[in-house]
Formats: sequence, C-alpha cells, structure tokens
Amino acid sequence: MLREKYASEIDTLRSRFAHRRSAVLPMLYLAQDEYGSLGEEVVREVADVLDLPPTDIFEVVGFYTLFYDRPVGTWMIQVCDDAPCCYCGAEEVMAALKEQLGICENETTEDGMFTIQRVKCLAACGNAPAIQVNLAYLYDVTPEKIDGMLRDLRSRAERGETFRLSGRDADDYTLAPDGSLQRIERRLGKTPEPQPSAA
Amino acid sequence: MIPEELAEMALFERETQQQYQHQINVCVASGCLSLQSDQIRESLEKEVRRRGEERWCQVRGVGCMGLCTAGPLVSVGPFTDPAAALYQEVQVSDSLDIIDSLGEGAVSRLVCPTDGPFFQRQVRVVLENSGQIDPERIEDYIAADGYEGLLKVLTEMNPSDVIEQMTRSGLRGRGGGGYPTSLKWTTVAKAVGPRKFVICNADEGDPGAFMDRSVLESDPHRVLEGMAIAAYAVGAGEGYIYVRAEYPLAIKRLRQAIHQAERLGLLGNRIFGTTFSFHVEVRLGAGAFVCGEETALIASIEGKRGTPRPRPPYPAEYGLWGYPTLINNVETFASVAPIIRNGGDWYARIGTEKSAGTKVFALAGRVTNTGIIEVPMGITLRDIIYEMGGGIPDGHAFKAVQTGGPSGGCIPEDYLDMAVDYDSLVQVGSIMGSGGMIIMDDTSSMVDVARFFIEFCMSESCGKCVPCRVGTVHIHDLLTRISEGMASMGDLSTLVELCEMVRNTSLCGLGQSAPNPVLSTLRFFRDEYLAHIRA
Ligand SMILES: Cc1cc2nc3c(=O)[nH]c(=O)nc-3n(C[C@H](O)[C@H](O)[C@H](O)COP(=O)(O)O)c2cc1C
Ligand code: SF4
Ligand code: FES
Ligand code: FES
Repeated sequence: MLREKYASEIDTLRSRFAHRRSAVLPMLYLAQDEYGSLGEEVVREVADVLDLPPTDIFEVVGFYTLFYDRPVGTWMIQVCDDAPCCYCGAEEVMAALKEQLGICENETTEDGMFTIQRVKCLAACGNAPAIQVNLAYLYDVTPEKIDGMLRDLRSRAERGETFRLSGRDADDYTLAPDGSLQRIERRLGKTPEPQPSAA
Repeated sequence: MIPEELAEMALFERETQQQYQHQINVCVASGCLSLQSDQIRESLEKEVRRRGEERWCQVRGVGCMGLCTAGPLVSVGPFTDPAAALYQEVQVSDSLDIIDSLGEGAVSRLVCPTDGPFFQRQVRVVLENSGQIDPERIEDYIAADGYEGLLKVLTEMNPSDVIEQMTRSGLRGRGGGGYPTSLKWTTVAKAVGPRKFVICNADEGDPGAFMDRSVLESDPHRVLEGMAIAAYAVGAGEGYIYVRAEYPLAIKRLRQAIHQAERLGLLGNRIFGTTFSFHVEVRLGAGAFVCGEETALIASIEGKRGTPRPRPPYPAEYGLWGYPTLINNVETFASVAPIIRNGGDWYARIGTEKSAGTKVFALAGRVTNTGIIEVPMGITLRDIIYEMGGGIPDGHAFKAVQTGGPSGGCIPEDYLDMAVDYDSLVQVGSIMGSGGMIIMDDTSSMVDVARFFIEFCMSESCGKCVPCRVGTVHIHDLLTRISEGMASMGDLSTLVELCEMVRNTSLCGLGQSAPNPVLSTLRFFRDEYLAHIRA
C-alpha cells in the first residue's frame, strides 16, 4: 500500500542513498504517518519496500522513542519533565492531564484520542513548561488550561484537522486563556519563497 | 551565480532596505510569538497600509532578540531615527502610538533600556544576525555579508589557508568537548578517501540547552555557509545536518534555506562557477539523546540503532559509511563565516588565551531573564547570572548554577567570580558543555537536582554497556532513598563507589559523565546529603 500511495517519495528516498539502510528512518516516519503506529505488519511492509530483512527494521523501531510499535492516540501528548520545566510546574501539568484523561503515562484513552508520555528537554525551557502534541510545540502551559486544550484537540480530531505524527506539519502554538490552541502565524518576509518539497 | 553577483545582490538588497525611512522589526521567535507578537506585527502592518506608507515604512518579522522575558519585543530603526528604540512588553493596542512616533521620538512608556548589561555585555558573533534578519529570506542574509566568507575561501584561499585561519582563531568545538576545531579539520583534510562527509550535529538535547535550536531558527544560512567552508577545507562534497525531529520549525527553515541557496548556486554543483561542489541534506533524529554522540549519530544516519561504538577509529578517519567524516556542532559551524570574513586573529582577540571567542549560553531555571545570550569567554558567572540574567526572582537567594547538562556539575556561590572558560569549569568539577545554564535558588534541593540528572541519563542510556545501563538505575535508587530519608552513611559511600565505577567503565561520554552531577553536588553540598541521612 505504501508503495502505491507514496511511489514517488519512495523512489526519491531509495535513489538518494547509496546505502538502502539509510532510508529506514525517513521511511518509518512515512509509514507511521500513514498507519498511526509501526506494528509488525507495517514493519514487514517497510522491510519489503526497502528490500531489507525485517529484523533490521524491528530493532530500529524498538530503539527510537518517536517510533511507536503499539497504537497510540490520535494525539500524542509529550510532556517535558526535565528540571527547568519542573521548576515552572511541569508536574502539575502532568497531574492535570492524568486526572482529566483518567490514564497514566504511556497509556492511551479508551476512545483512542490521547496518549501521554514523559519526555526530556524540548529546548523550550525559556517558555516552560513546554509540551508537544504530535511534535507541535505548546508553550507556557498551565494546569488550568489543560481542560480547554483537550477539548480543542478533540474537536480538531472530529473535524479531521490533526497533525501528522512525524511533525511534518507541526507548528508552534500558544494556549489562549480558555486553553484553545492559537497558532502562531509565521509569515515572514515580503517575497514568499517557493516551498521546497518536504521529504 | 558568478562571484560578482553576490556583491551586486547584497548591494541591491541593502539599497532596497535603505529606501525605507523607518524599519519596524517585530520579534516572531518562539518566546515572543507565544505572547502574540504576530498579531502586533499584523496590526502594525495594517496601520502602515491604512496610512499608505508602505513605501517608507517596513514592518518585518525577525528572530529572537534575546530578552525573551521582556517580550514581545519590537525595535524601531534605523538608529538615526529620533524614534529609534527597543520596545518591551508591547501590546497590539500600542501599534498606533508606535507608528505615530516614527520620526518624532520614541514612545517612552514602552522603551526597553539597551544600555543595561544584558545588551552591553554581549558580543555577538554567532548571533550577529539573530533578531536582525528574516531567517526565511536568503536575500536578508546576503545583505548582512552572507556567503561572503564562502566566496572568499573559494576564490582567494587554498584549503590549507582556511585551516590556518581556523588555527589562528583558536576556536574550540562548541558541542561540549572543546576539541580544537582546526585540529579536527586537519585530520579530516589529511585523511584519504574517495568520498568525505561533513556533518552538523544538531541533536541538542541537554536539559536547559536551547541555543542550537535558536541559531537554526534565527539564522539557518549561517550554519550552511560554515559547513560549506569546512567542506572546502577538508575536501568533502556532501554534508548532512542531523536535527532532532522535535524541532519542526528549525527543520522547515533549514530545508527552505538549502533550497534557496541551491537555486542561487551557493550550494550544489560548481559553487560560484568554481570546481567546488557541496550538497547538503537534512536528516531527522527520532528522539534518542544518545544520538548526539558522534559515532551514534553516524549509525543513526546509516539507518541503524543509534548506539555509540568505541573510538578510535575516530569519525575523522572512519566515519559515515566508513569514509572520513568531519562532525561539528551547530554553534561551531555558525562561528566559521565571521572568522573567515574578519580573520582568525580577530576572533582570537575575543575571549581568553586558551578559550578564544564567544560562547552562546541559554539561561533557564530560577533566573529573571531566561533566554539566550552570547558573551566573550572569560566573563564571570556572576556577571552572567546577576548582571545579564537579572539575578534571582521573587526575593530568593542564589544557590547553584548547573552547567554542562547531564555531563556537568553544579557550581556554588563561592565560585561565582570565576571566569567562564573550558579549563576553569573543569577545575570546579563541571564542564562547559553545550551552553545550557540552569540556575537554582535556595528552594532547590541539591539531592533532587542530582536525581533529576541521573534520571535523565538513566532514561537516555542506550543500554549497550552494563555499567551505564545498570549503574545509573542503582544510583537513581540510592538518591531516591537518600532524598526520602531512608539511607544510611553506608549508602553514601556505596553511592560514591558506584559513581566511580560507572565513570571509569562506561563506553561513551553519556555513561562516563553521568555521575558528574552527583559527584559535584556531593562535593559542594555534602551537608544536604548528610541532613537527609541524619533526619
Ligand atoms: C551522550 C552525548 C551526547 C552528545 N550530544 C551532543 C549534541 O547534542 N550536540 C553536539 O554538538 N554534540 C554532542 N555531543 C558531542 C559530540 O559527540 C561531538 O563531540 C561534537 O558534535 C563535536 O562537535 P564540536 O567539535 O564542534 O564540539 C554529545 C556527546 C555525548 C557523549
Ligand atoms: S555509556 Fe551508556 S549510552 Fe554510552 S554506550 Fe554505554 S550504555 Fe550506551
Ligand atoms: S526543560 Fe522542558 S523544555 Fe527544556
Ligand atoms: S523570542 Fe522574542 S526576544 Fe526571544
């Protein structure tokens, strides 16, 4: 299926690297965006597309935290719990998330909407606590805004406006007082440049 | 493009910019953006348009200006304008006043004093364009002398001249180790191989470190130019930038910058019509901190698990796919173009004898001005934390500053007057590291701080070698017992023994330095450990 749907991207990936293995990570991001996670069948398909032994792919999936071998929620919420964020209330944010979703770390809500994870520094310590949802940054998060944030994410999912897990269309957001996501516009410069094809 | 075109383009762009009598720069980097600086920019633009003054007054979005805590920041120029000023905590409703004031005099209630130490003590080399140019326009970078360094090396210098300038500059690697950059370049230049690679390490992940992300988001071309100059010096034709997948904006801007540079012939085949070609590609990590270690990073680009391997052989001789490979940090590459433009001696005059130049630091934790600063090496910690960082907020007292992330240590008050350079930090049991500084006040428990860092290493250990995989877990357990008041004096000595074992027997830098935060807090804050034990 990947092969048909992303034929040209796969061709580019395969031709760009003299060594086929080098295409593994980019290919896994593509597959994860398509299927939502990297279960056994998906891994076998990736192996097939790249003509590599499946074991090579399995071990890569197992190693990297941003590859998910089990189904995850539509929204993967990653909370930074490193020292600078904790000084600014990251644990309180985590507690609010857990309470409102009724799940613990690394669990997914029953409706398949949210997964929460702890992660290490996201390099947004100047706007702590920072979290990412499907790799989009949310800055200066407070426990009070969690409720509104979850509601907003849920309604985005219902409208089909989710972001891909690979972060390919991730953006920066700030939370409005009611917790809804406010996209931070980033139109820069007077002469719009043609966008490079993302890969 | 041919060499003459670069200067023409720079001139044209500068003239275009000068035709504006007024320039309003709005910071739209992450900090100010989260305070809706985009709306300020929009409302300024709208007001300029409403008055029909677009031809004289330019409103631009620019990268981080550094004083994020006073954001949203807006600057008005050129400096000859009576209204030239830096404005802080600007709101959408201030737009009218700002535009009314142009040519008249600054809006005094918004003025952010720039004669204070935060600005005056900074020496901007790596950050010279941050907040000054639009990172999404290559023309802006070119107008700021961009790609002039590359032109100079390709048309006037031999690869060995380039390395000579780097040697004179005294630049040391900014990724943490502080290895002299020119020595590394020399090794790769001398290595023989049918292909060679240049890799930019943008896998920044130390807690409290956000300098590289800021550089990539604010001035991506600078990193590309540095890489191209390095490639010429060492004889490489291909390059990779390994970026954390968690940095979507940096990735987008890098890709866009590569695309723009290729279109102008500043990257790609036969740059400036010479025989030199250099192709760059962005590679994404996937959330493994250990991939910042150079051999793990190479494994990751090769499509494998990112685990470190023993060195030697070093990547300089046996790197990506076995070819000689130069790996430098983002900030290292970002320092290269100014060194080439101004000469190595110029750079060496900044900073101290053994630690030349400037260093970018990220201030986080309990400090008034969190954000990014660039200072000459040799400045004191006190100046950084009190003068530039504005001291400790909420009436609390300073307790310690953590430098060097999970490989570094905590430095107490007694050493605040110490000059910051590679060697002095090592003397007090810490390291320069990548440049993150986490400031702690009297409410922070140092045992907990040590536990934070060991927890970091525990969760980021790749598991390849036992001392690091198992040792960090044991250290973490012991620290938990200590902080819960369950430990005995015997546990304390076990802790020290464990730390030494992990330090001496781990394979890579992560394990070898994981005990540092514990050992350094034990050295300077032993009382706190003892208090937990006696209590
Ligand atoms: C566990 C570990 C993580 C590292 N992470 C980084 C990193 O994120 N960025 C970086 O530039 N160097 C990192 N390094 C250092 C690199 O291995 C390498 O020394 C550096 O990229 C060389 O660049 P430089 O000479 O310009 O400093 C890390 C080292 C270790 C052991
Ligand atoms: S020291 Fe730790 S991170 Fe480094 S190779 Fe060993 S287990 Fe992996
Ligand atoms: S500590 Fe949370 S973003 Fe750096
Ligand atoms: S983000 Fe605006 S000054 Fe740093």
